[in-house]
Amino acid sequence: MDRLDLPQGTLDLLILKAVSLRPEHGWAISERIHQVSRATLQIPQGSLYPALHRLERRGWIKATWGASENNRRAKYYELTRAGRKQLEAETDAWQRLTSAVSLVLDMA
Amino acid sequence: MLTDLLYRLRALLRRGAMERELDEELRFHLERETEKLVRSGRSRDAAAREARLAFGGVERIKDDSRDVRGVAVVDAMTQDVRYALRGLRAKLGFTAAVVLTLGLGIGANAAMFGVVDRLMFRSPAYLHDPARVHRVYLYTTSRGKESADNGFEYTRYADLARWTTVFDRAATFGQRTLAIGTGEDAREIEVATVSASYFSLFDAPPALGRYFTASEDVVPAGAPVVVLAYGFWQTHYGGSAAALGRALQIDRTTFTIIGVAPDGFAGITDGAPPALFIPVTTFAGVVRESKDYYTKYSWGWLQMLVRRKPDATLAAATADLTSAYRRSLAAEAALDKTTPRFDIAKPHALAGPIQFQRGPMASRDARIITWISGVSLIVLLIACANVANLMLARALRRRREIALRVALGVGRARLLAQLLTESVILATLGGIAGLAIAQGGSQILKSIFLPADASLNVATDWRTLGFCAFVALTAGVVTGLAPAFQSGRENLALSLKAGQREGTHQRSRLRSALLVFQGTLAVVLLVGAGLFVRSLRNVRALRIGYDVDPVVVVYGEARGTVLTDLERAGLARRLEARALGIPGVESASRALTLPFWDTWSVSLFVAGIDSVRRLGRFTLQGGSPSFFRTMGTRILRGRGITAEDTKGAPKVMIVSESMARTLWPGRDAIGQCIRVQADTMPCTTVVGIAENIKTRSLIDDTGLHYYLPIEQYQPERANLIVRVRGNATDYIETVRRALQAEMPGNAYVVVHAMREVIGPQERSWQSGATMFVAFSFLALILAAIGLYSVIAFDVAQRTHELGVRIALGAQVRDVLRLIVGAGIRFAAVGVIAGLGLALAAGRFISPLLFGVSARDPVILGAVGSLLLVVAVAASAIPALRATRVDPNVALRAD
Repeated sequence: MDRLDLPQGTLDLLILKAVSLRPEHGWAISERIHQVSRATLQIPQGSLYPALHRLERRGWIKATWGASENNRRAKYYELTRAGRKQLEAETDAWQRLTSAVSLVLDMA
Repeated sequence: MLTDLLYRLRALLRRGAMERELDEELRFHLERETEKLVRSGRSRDAAAREARLAFGGVERIKDDSRDVRGVAVVDAMTQDVRYALRGLRAKLGFTAAVVLTLGLGIGANAAMFGVVDRLMFRSPAYLHDPARVHRVYLYTTSRGKESADNGFEYTRYADLARWTTVFDRAATFGQRTLAIGTGEDAREIEVATVSASYFSLFDAPPALGRYFTASEDVVPAGAPVVVLAYGFWQTHYGGSAAALGRALQIDRTTFTIIGVAPDGFAGITDGAPPALFIPVTTFAGVVRESKDYYTKYSWGWLQMLVRRKPDATLAAATADLTSAYRRSLAAEAALDKTTPRFDIAKPHALAGPIQFQRGPMASRDARIITWISGVSLIVLLIACANVANLMLARALRRRREIALRVALGVGRARLLAQLLTESVILATLGGIAGLAIAQGGSQILKSIFLPADASLNVATDWRTLGFCAFVALTAGVVTGLAPAFQSGRENLALSLKAGQREGTHQRSRLRSALLVFQGTLAVVLLVGAGLFVRSLRNVRALRIGYDVDPVVVVYGEARGTVLTDLERAGLARRLEARALGIPGVESASRALTLPFWDTWSVSLFVAGIDSVRRLGRFTLQGGSPSFFRTMGTRILRGRGITAEDTKGAPKVMIVSESMARTLWPGRDAIGQCIRVQADTMPCTTVVGIAENIKTRSLIDDTGLHYYLPIEQYQPERANLIVRVRGNATDYIETVRRALQAEMPGNAYVVVHAMREVIGPQERSWQSGATMFVAFSFLALILAAIGLYSVIAFDVAQRTHELGVRIALGAQVRDVLRLIVGAGIRFAAVGVIAGLGLALAAGRFISPLLFGVSARDPVILGAVGSLLLVVAVAASAIPALRATRVDPNVALRAD
């Protein structure tokens, strides 16, 4: 399947979702999104880190240093309480948007 | 919100840590990506390359990540500043050259700004709402020529104050040099005579005591109270509160000290700041003992200030003043119906600027200063062009470094910011150097342009500092933009290819244009300098109708010693005799007036002429028989004053050439009859014609002047002129001591060399010449350095090409011609453009010149040749270096 470009503004949502289950480091976040989307979504590498830092600054995720699976120091990001609220709000908004768009597209 | 703030704070304060974390994070990412690729079967190297490619420019990502920290600007700036400082430290020679060049340019301007600001822009200290306060000027038209005057009679001031309605304050002030103290401590000091309302124009509560009130400033005579200036209080009373109530003798009157003005208060003054303030009516009615100063219109010695009501417009103010002025003129005419008044045509008044030098009566000096400020700006432009050129050369040399940075993902905007940071740092250093230069320079400027005790300290003056900072920053941005502009167009790939040679080397157009621009401006300034120097020489060479260097002038100040007219006449004769006895004195004469000091004129009546006054202002001099010999004024026809022209003898007069021609055109003046003072007086017969002399202005003096034997006209009012062998300045003390011995009581003599009296008259040309010469040579040096640096840089860049040429058999001569030729071409274009500009500007500067055309071919030619010679010299040094290029070394270098 071809890769899709991410619509504007969805990167934040994806990142928030990716770190919502457990803390992850940058590379794992990008891998995870890639895998879960069945290789459809590829996070532009150049935007990942700036986005992570932006979310951190907003207080939606927080970073801690920990050991990675191969025992190296890595920076893990996890969702904060504010981040969880944000994720819910954005997920909700996204679903309403997509279902609305589908309704229009399914118009007979 | 709080997290955001904390995050930014951490970004600012723990910048190093965050950078390290970012590095580590990105490195970790790349490693994991590489590992993944290796697992999928690629070689380690291929995997690493692919991971990096997929990732994109690391520097770019870092920059973007830094941007989201919200402190990117601060961050980038600190980084740029560090980077710039490192670069500047590495190239100390370059840094010094730029800082010094900018320093000279900025310094010249800061110093000039200090002077111009003080003369024209700064409003007087403590003045309340300066925008509403005006000086009043009166205009009259006489013989088709309108002229402004700001000399008010007290009566006129009172009329205008009373008959205007749009002002909430009106005040008057004058300034006089008066003697204070008694005995040995007596000295002359500046005293302001002001109305009580004067102080209410300022927000300046007294440092001690109080100001005088309206009830102490009343006609006919005010109260003898005095307010001290702060400085005078400090020096004479040690700043003690006990000064209040103490007595102070001013002239002959004993005053009581009632207050001290705050520090820095000088009121509104055009000359030296006053040390004392006394009520205007006390000065007129008590010190001068005038009985009619407030009823008549004969003594104009004051200036008038008004403050508009907040809702009154400037136009309304002027209209109001004009109608009051016309009413006042009518009142004056009604007062004195007996003397036929010649009509004052089109009288009107003006609410003018508070700064005298911005008003309609601005002096020639002020105009010269305006020009010189323009000149100093041009010097700054040349300095900036030089610095821009140096920066360009540096940018060219750093091409590869810059290309590398671009390749590493540094954005254009960031690159520009870095270049600008560097130039702004340089300009800041230049500004500091400029302040130091201005501090020294302004002392010199002050002595040229400002009254002796005006304060001018660049380093503590906020306005000058602000100006300096503004100029420095502008210079920084302007000079920084040039190389930024240049590097914006660099071809990356070309610059990066190692060993890439500039084959047929190309000089940047911008650099050439800057060079020509400098040459042009330097030529314009040099032409100006030439014109002013010639003017000064012409003014000095002017025949003013008497000798200056061997003449000493003396006037006696009675100061309280009351003498009868007879005694005063006797004293004058004794002084003359005593002066003659001084060794080295050739001759001495009594004189009614002293040139450029005071003038005297009385009504004249000549048969057949309706109104002599309409023909001009005729000034009168009285002298002893030795007068013409003492002054060195030539008698053209007839005779001078003789010992026979005594009180009882027939009245005689010697007239100037101009006067003879004006009163009796086409006829012989000798033998004509003039009635002096009234038409009922007996004839005064013209017995001689003297050459014209200048007594009021060096250049546009009408020379309408006549001489009466002092024994026949007011012998009691005599001053003294003394002619010495050699230079007058050497005799001042001798003359003073000898004559002082003759003075009775408290009276004293004041002695000056005629040169000191004439000096200020030449000042505008003198200062114009000095400043133009100084600035234009500064400009020339800067332009020469500019040319030198460009040519030297070219030679360095062309080493390879020159090596080839020499290897192919080019002679020293050929190489010299090649390099110096380039220099001369630049200079020639500059000279042509500069001379063209100078010719065009000549029209504007003509009124300030004297006896020299703004298009003087000798000056234009000399300046053109000078610039070419300098250009040859500046390019010869690098050219000689070029001839020493060893083709072996040059060709093997790469």
